[in-house]
Formats: sequence, C-alpha cells, structure tokens
Amino acid sequence: MALRRVLSAGGRRWAQRLCSAAWGDTIFAVSSGHGRCGVTVIRTSGPGSGGALQTLTGRPELPPPRVLTLRRIRDPTTAEPLDRGLVVWFPGPQSFTGEDCAELHVHGGPAVVSGVLRALGRLPGLRPAEPGEFTRRAFRRGKLDLTAAEGLGDLIRAQTEAQRRQALRQMEGELGRLYQRWSETLTQALAHLEAYIDFSEDDNVEEEVLSRVDATVRALEREIGAHLQDGRRGELLRGGVHAVIAGPPNVGKSSLLNLLCQRPAAIVSPVAGTTRDVVEVALNVGGYPLVLSDTAGLRDATDPVEQEGVSRARDRLQQADLVLAVLDAATVPTEPAGLGAALGSLLPPAATTPCILILNKADLLQGDGGALRDACAHGDPLPPTTLLSCKTGEGLDHLLELLARQLARLCGDPLAGSPSLTQSRHSLHLGDCVAALARYGRERRRDLGLAAERLRLARRHLGRITGHVGAEDVLDIIFRDFCVGK
Amino acid sequence: MLLRGCWRRLALPPAPRPGHRRAGSEAGTAAAAPRYEVVVIGGGHAGTEAAAAAARGGARTLLLTHKIGTIGEMSCNPSFGGIGKGHLMREVDALDGLCGRVCDLSGVHYKVLNRCKGPAVWGLRAQIDRSRYRENMQKEILNTPLLTVHEASVEDLLLTEPEPDRPGKCQVTGVVLGDGSTVHAGSVILTTGTFLRGMILIGLQMHPAGRLGDQPAIGLAQTLENLGFAVGRLKTGTPPRLAKDTIDFSGLEERAADNPPVPFSFLSKAVWIKPEDQLLCYLTRTTGKAEQIIRDNLHLNNHIRETTRGPRYCPSLESKVLRFPNREHQVWLEPEGLESNVIYPQGMSMTLPPELQEQVIRSVPGLEKAKMLQPGYGVQYDFLDPRQLTASLESRLVQRLFFAGQVNGTTGYEEAAAQGVIAGINACLRVHGKPPFIVSRTEGYIGVLIDDLTTLGTSEPYRMFTSRVEFRMSLRPDNADARLTPRGFEEAECVSQQRYKQAVKMRAALDDGIATLKSLQFSISKWSQLIPEVPISSSRKSPVSAFDILQYPEANMEVLARAVPEPLGKLAQWRELSERLKIEAAYEWCVVNQQQEIEEVRRDEALRLPEDLDYFAIDASLSAEVREKLDSNRPQTIGAVSRIPGITPAAIVNLLRFVKTNHQKTEKLKALPQTGKYLPGKRYSEKATSQRQISAEFSEERPEYLC
Repeated sequence: MALRRVLSAGGRRWAQRLCSAAWGDTIFAVSSGHGRCGVTVIRTSGPGSGGALQTLTGRPELPPPRVLTLRRIRDPTTAEPLDRGLVVWFPGPQSFTGEDCAELHVHGGPAVVSGVLRALGRLPGLRPAEPGEFTRRAFRRGKLDLTAAEGLGDLIRAQTEAQRRQALRQMEGELGRLYQRWSETLTQALAHLEAYIDFSEDDNVEEEVLSRVDATVRALEREIGAHLQDGRRGELLRGGVHAVIAGPPNVGKSSLLNLLCQRPAAIVSPVAGTTRDVVEVALNVGGYPLVLSDTAGLRDATDPVEQEGVSRARDRLQQADLVLAVLDAATVPTEPAGLGAALGSLLPPAATTPCILILNKADLLQGDGGALRDACAHGDPLPPTTLLSCKTGEGLDHLLELLARQLARLCGDPLAGSPSLTQSRHSLHLGDCVAALARYGRERRRDLGLAAERLRLARRHLGRITGHVGAEDVLDIIFRDFCVGK
Repeated sequence: MLLRGCWRRLALPPAPRPGHRRAGSEAGTAAAAPRYEVVVIGGGHAGTEAAAAAARGGARTLLLTHKIGTIGEMSCNPSFGGIGKGHLMREVDALDGLCGRVCDLSGVHYKVLNRCKGPAVWGLRAQIDRSRYRENMQKEILNTPLLTVHEASVEDLLLTEPEPDRPGKCQVTGVVLGDGSTVHAGSVILTTGTFLRGMILIGLQMHPAGRLGDQPAIGLAQTLENLGFAVGRLKTGTPPRLAKDTIDFSGLEERAADNPPVPFSFLSKAVWIKPEDQLLCYLTRTTGKAEQIIRDNLHLNNHIRETTRGPRYCPSLESKVLRFPNREHQVWLEPEGLESNVIYPQGMSMTLPPELQEQVIRSVPGLEKAKMLQPGYGVQYDFLDPRQLTASLESRLVQRLFFAGQVNGTTGYEEAAAQGVIAGINACLRVHGKPPFIVSRTEGYIGVLIDDLTTLGTSEPYRMFTSRVEFRMSLRPDNADARLTPRGFEEAECVSQQRYKQAVKMRAALDDGIATLKSLQFSISKWSQLIPEVPISSSRKSPVSAFDILQYPEANMEVLARAVPEPLGKLAQWRELSERLKIEAAYEWCVVNQQQEIEEVRRDEALRLPEDLDYFAIDASLSAEVREKLDSNRPQTIGAVSRIPGITPAAIVNLLRFVKTNHQKTEKLKALPQTGKYLPGKRYSEKATSQRQISAEFSEERPEYLC
C-alpha cells in the first residue's frame, strides 16, 4: 500500500515490472511444541504457503480452508514419507499474519520435525523465519490484536535469548570455531572485493587482491560443501534444558547433584573447593529433558586449578537456561531482602536467567526455622525458593515440583534446547551460502558488481548463523587493510 | 555512541541576548523587512543546489552568501564525481539539480571509472576547470527565476513559538544579517560548510577561517549552540598547489581521458569540450625521503597531533605515512583548468609548516623543481549531529530550519549537492504545506546517504561508497532518471516539463524494447546459428528469448540487430536505448531478486514512529540500553530502528506494540468526542502529552496503521 503511494506513475510502472515475479518470500518456523512433546506445529506464512502444502502432501488440491485435515507428509525430493499429520490451510487475509498461511501438526520427534523443516527449506522461495518475523508480518497487515500481542514480545525475547544461549554453547565448541573462521574469511574476502570496486582505480588496491579473493572463495566453497556432505553430524549438542548448580563453596552443590541423579556422580567432601571441574549429567525430570551441571564453588580462589574451576563455573552460568542457586540455610540472612542480596552476589550482573533458590542444610537449622520458611514463601524479589536437606531428603519433593514447573515453562518454548532444529537451520543456511559462493565464480568474469552481490548474499546467509555484519564492519576492514585516499 | 564524549550541548531555553530577537515583538519593523518563502544561508555546493531546487519548486527564494564571487567555488579538489559520487550526481541531475549540467559545461578531462567492473559500479568523473565551473554556476544561479542573491553575513535567527502539533521547541521565521537588518522567511536552509568556528591549521599556526581567505561564522555557531544543538568537531585538509610550468612530466605515467566523454546529465547529448582537446593527468609516487621528513617533524604539526576526528578516506599524507609506513603513496597531478598554470597534487594533503611542505614536494619524482604556489592546510570545524534532523533534513529542534552539506558531517561536493537538493525541495514543500519528499534507501544513493546520517550519525567526515548501498544492482547511474525524475516532477515539482517528458519517453521505450526482446524467442541451436560469436552455454530445451541472449557479455543490441534486423534494427539505432537495454538484461535476474528485499525494507519504512517520542518515559518493555540508543538516534521508521546496531527483534516488536496500543486508544477517543475538546479537522493539542501526539499523528497521516 505504502509503495503505491510513494511511487508516482512512472516510478510505479518501473516497480511493477520489477515486482512481477513475486512480492514477498515465504517464511516458516516451529510455532509450538518442544522436542519430546506429542505434537509440534510448523507454520508457514507468505505467498508460497499453498504451494508448499501441495508439494509436501503430494496432492494438487488444497484442503478446505481452516479445517484440520489428515494428510501424509512426504519429502518432495525423495518422496520418502515423513509423517502422517494434520494440516490446516488458512488463505489470506483470514489468517494469523493476514498472508496465506499453512500449519503442519506433526508428531513431535526431533527426526520428524527436522525432516519437515529441511523439506520446507528446499522449496524455492521458502526460508526460516527470523525471530519476531511472523509477528511483524501480522503487524503490517493490522492482524495483531492486543491480547495476542501481550505475550509476544516476551516470547520473542525468550526465543532470541534461547537462541543466543544455544549459539553460545555451540560457539564454544569445535563447530563454533569453524563457523566463526568461515565468517571472518568471508567477510574479509567481501571487504577486499568491495575495496577493489570502490578504490582500485585511484588507489593502491592492486589486481592481486582480486585473485586472492577468488582463491579464498573457491576454497571456502569447497570446505563448506565438504562439511555439508559429511554424514557425521560432528559433535552433537545435548538436547534439553541446561541447568547449572551454582553457589559458594561447601554449601552442598555436589550433594544436590548426587541427590537428583540418585547416584554418586560427583565427589563430595566437607572440604571447601572439592569440585574443580564441571560435572555434567543428563536427567529426566517430570518427562522433561534436563542437563544438569555441578560447578566449582564461587569464591576468589588462590589455587590456580580452583581458579580455573571458578572461571569455568562463571562461563556455565552465562550459558545456562536455568540456575539452581544453592546457599547454606544455617548462615543466610532470614529476611527476604538480605536473601535477595546474597543471591544477587552469586549471579552475573543483570542476569535474566530463570532461577530456583535452594537453601540447603535445613537439618542444621535451630528450631523450626520459621523466619526462613516465611521468607521462602515471600515471592518477589526472590525467585521460587525452597528449604532442602540433601542429608535427610527433606524438601526434595517441593524442589522437584518447582523444577518441573520451571521446566514446563522453558520447554513450552520450542526453540530452547532443541539442537536438532538448530542444526537443520544451520544446514539450510550453509547450503544457501555455498550456492551463492558457486555463483560468484560464474559471475566473476562477467560483471564484478554481480559477483560481489553473490558474495554479499553468501555473507548474509552465513550471518544468519554467526551474526550480522554491517557496511561499517566492511569499511573497517577496507581501511585497515588498504591505504586508500588521495 | 562513539561521539558522545565530544558533543557539546547547552541547557535550554536559549538565554536572551542582544540581537536575539523574537519575531512576534517587532511589529514595527516587520513591515519594512523583506520576506521570502525560502532563505538559504551559504553559496557552496549544498547552498546553490538548495536555492535552485527551492526556486524550481516555485518558492520565492533568497540566497545569502559572503561573496557572490565565490558562488560555485571548488575549494578542494578540481574534480567532480567518482565511484559512488558519480551515482549521487546522476541522482541530483535526475531531480533537475545543477552540478551535473554545470560539469558538462566545465570539464577538461572526463573519465568513467570502473569500466571493466560492470555498469552498476561505473563511476562518472571529470577534472573540472575551476574558473569555468564558477562562472557557469554563477550564470545559472543568477539567472534562475524566483531566486534572489544577496551578499551578507548571517548573525542570528529570528525565532517564534513552535507550531503546536509538531516536534520542536521553536520555529524559525527569518534571519538577522550582519548589518542588523532582518529578512523574514517561511523556511531557512543552513549550508555553512566548514565555516562554523572554522579554524585553519598550517604547522603550529592556526587562525580562524572557513576557507583560506574567508571569515568563519561565529555568531551563527553561537546561536545554534544556545538553541541546544549537539555540536561535534571534525577535521579535513587540502594539499598544496604547484606551478605547472615547474613540473617535469616527462618520466611520469599518463592518464588519458575517455573518447568520447560521457556526460553527467541526462539532458546533455555531449560535453562542451572536443574529445581531443581534453587535458592529461599524471601519476607519480612519494619516496622514503618524504616519509622521513614527515616523521622527523611531527612535533611541528598540530593538526595531526590533535584528536579531532579526520576521515579514514582521503587522509593526509602524514596519516598515510604513519599508518602504512615503508610504502610509496600515489600522487595524481591534476590540472585545475584549460588556461590555468596550477596543478593539484591529489594525495598530498599536508599541514606541515610551508618550508617543510616544499621539501616533501621536492622529494617526489617529477616535482624536484616544482614551485609551491600555496601551502596545504588543515581545517577544523564544527558540525551538527545529523541525528537531530528528520529525513527531509528539517531540524527536530527548530521547526522550518533545514541543514545541508558539510555542516551535517559529510565530505565531498557531491554529498553536499545531494543534501542541498533534498533540503531545497523540502523547505519549499514545507512552506507550501505539502508532505515532505523523502528518498528511501531503496530508491537511491541520496536515500542511503541521508538515512545513514539521520539514523546513525557519523564519527568521521561521511563519504559515499558503493559498499554502503544494499541495493547496488538496482540503484545504478544509468537508471537514476527512471527512479527519481517522475517523483521529482509529480511530488516535488522541482523537475522541468522537458526533463520529465524525456524520462517518461525513455521509460516507455525501455518497456517496449524489453517486451519486444522477450517476445522474440528461438531455440538455442537457432540462436547459435544466428549469432555464432555469442557462446550460449545453456542446456535449456525451451526456446530462449533475445532478452536472455542479451545478458551474455559478448552480446549487444548491434549484434542482435544484425542477426534479426526486424524488429530489432530500429531499437539498435537509438544508441542510448541500446546501451540501457543491454544493462537491463544483464541485471534483470539480480534486480528481480533484490525486489523482494526492497519491498521488505519499504514496508518497514512505511511504519513511521512519532518524532517526539520520549523513549525514557514510554511504557514499553525496553531495556535502558535500547531506550538510550533510540533516544540518541531518533529513528523515524521501524526500518530505521532495525538498522541501529544493538536493537533486538524483541525491542522492535515491543515498540510496535506500544505504538499500536496508543493508536487504538486514540481511535476510541475519536469515536467519543463527548468532551468537546476535540475539534474536527485538527489534531489534539490540549495537554500535549507525548502519547496523544503520537496517536494523533498516526491516525491522521498514516492510514496504513488502520488497516
């Protein structure tokens, strides 16, 4: 609409001619359900939704609008059946976003979901949605009513936050370093090509720059291509909510781990600073996958091994989806404000990670610990808080209840802790990146501007994994690497 | 952001001081004071374009300059255009601006840069005869209908109460001149370049001046600062000038001009000079000796030692030597005019004491005996944080006051001219009560320039590069007329009938030509037979159109017309059309693909944010950091918000939600105007809480919020 107003008659014709192909791409994403729940809903929005539904169900006709219909879902390239599920067709404008939308309700196993996502990603004109993109489309079409909008900002924040943590965990590892290196290589190649375009005529940017860029792009194309061909998935990220037990030394963090996993996974001793490294166990709590890490007690250690342990503990805290903060019930302040301050000193500044506060060693309390019990029930500013005795098991039921409640909330977020979805998203973007790099080679002899466009596109696809790179970043490299200027 | 530390901002309201008059209180003299619709301060590259654009748009315009004789002065390099800058000139020309046409009458060496890299990044450039440019520009300016030119300095602004329904703490109603007299104006455009507290530096000496030999503007700088404008400081420089007849060109590398030269303007069939009469440029390089002299004398060089930000591009020879030691640095020897004995050594910008500059010059091959006519010097000057402007270049602080050119933190004639045209058009539209004319970054380099400045600000003199432009394949020098001329004619009314007709005719011919080429289809084997010189590497079974064939580097309209004279012969005869068809074919795939992204950006740009939103006060779930960024960058649209580094998708959605919530509240209020406070046809102005203004603005101006 805005376009029509902005463009005048002549300009409009120009734009119409250019728009003739399509006026928007189609996005898809998992919209609800987590890794192990019964049903996962995958939603698409955009002009390609109908076509996608037809292709995936292998039927020329669309199901009747807004009616749940049982269909077999196939991979269009291999014709291999992926699932039998319910599909719904929402022709625009009567849909969530106002555009043509489709929903696929599939069985929630990670294999099925990532299979469907991969299949969608291979269809022309479809791409994974960016965080918040469905909402923004709905907004543009005036489709978002206020009650629906209430929770959306928070949901998107949670998703972005979950993706950030997911990425952080991934970037720690081998794979992360690999992606980061590709990203730097590609950005530099792009910057050098841009320098060649903007400055070579007048400045000291020589022809060799171009042949170096060519060689870099060829090598990168081969490397990413080989990585995609590699059947091994490399290091698998562990699915589930990542919870970290943190607290001062000798409050019983390792005892808590052992209590929860019902075996002596971590060494416990009365000596402060026993745990040096991170101990990790996978658990199932109330049906939800949980990866629990025990960490070194947080204090200003002098022993170099312990120092390293404390620094690893702090890193883990940064990446955690959930923090189990443990304090010694016998020594903590009994009023809520003091408790809050004691907790605050443990967590990273301005942390927004969900938290459960556990006051351990309840068996050592004098009397019935009434004041502390009241504080536990106090709520705000304290997170969910419970008294526990790892020794007697008192309070364990309450802790498990709190834990299950937090896990249910975190797992309701489809993007938290589902590395298989992350991986299928990655391979889609990497595939697009390789395709663009291949076209660079073809375009290169014809028109350098067009070739640069391919490199920009490749950089954008990679940026969906490793982060956006703006024009200023490119200019920074240009001015760092070349003496341009007259 | 980066510059936070060096902004100076004074408290408001402005303290009353002598000479600072309020328009409302001078009923006695008002009748005598002249009145113009638009007053432009400054006659540089921004000022001339602004004044001419306002006058073309139908506004009675006054241009105020220190000296009529310096209108059209090229105070730095004797060239116009280049990569990215040439794009800007084509767009200025498409809006009927002056610099392209004047360059076509004044150049002595025309050259298209990047010829072998594809038409999207061609850089039209020319060496210009300084005095011819000045004369031609003055002729143009002094003969523009509705445009009056006066010699005067401007000391102060006349201000009055703001219009209630817009952002701004006051509005400008005119200017106070050096002699104390006043001129009333509907809008005022400030294009003072480097003259705001300008300071010239040579070696350890410094003296106040806007340009060598010209006084700086101090009273005006004071006024702006009192009004609360955030001011930063930048530096730039210019090289020494050499006597041509003392240079030994014999051993130097020559660069010849294009034959035939390509004109800048869509209206010019050819440039004024005969191709064979064009002058040569020469290339030489600095040696280790120059580096030694510079290193040994850094203590004598105030400009380099200071911390004021200089450009990363176009740096001084000193900073090049310091950052990239042990290298030769290029020096282009450029003529300053047909009859001129002056040579401009591009690349030798210096601020050493003059005797040392001479030593550096003489260490360069070819310049051993060169005579220095004028030393190089550095300029430090105030600029205003351009984030205080809207995309129409009107100030958010003072209504009807526009800023264009170097005062906004840019460098370069072309960047200045581009802003000048936009400020001129909008100052005129503002007076005539029409909506502003905004070029989106999806429509032109001008849009990218202004959006970058007004959304992100700048920490160094901002220069146009093609790498800043997302949609480089669509925004080409060849199609600037198709992109901007119709809008300039219909919305801004700043384009002549003749130019509009020509652009429309070309557009129609292109559309027809493309349709003809697309309808002409043969099998691949038939094409290979018809045009064996084009190696067609397709395995397609279906027929291929002539438009597809035209994409091949070996193909052009001439080749196609020879193979299929009917109907292509006619098209190939029109040379300009043939060239443009070829470019359209080469870029079709890419442009169609970019169109999706362009639509995406435009949809985000259509979601406007209120200009006076108090980001620290609004009840939306935004972090303190995001609020601070939004407050200092003052984005005008959701599109601009998404380009600010560090703004999260969640913040964008929360902002959208806030705006939408407030809009709905207003809708309810509108439905029940029982208080009687609401006057139909007017916006809420009682109790101008920011939220109400926001909602009102949305409901009246942007109905797309309603849908």
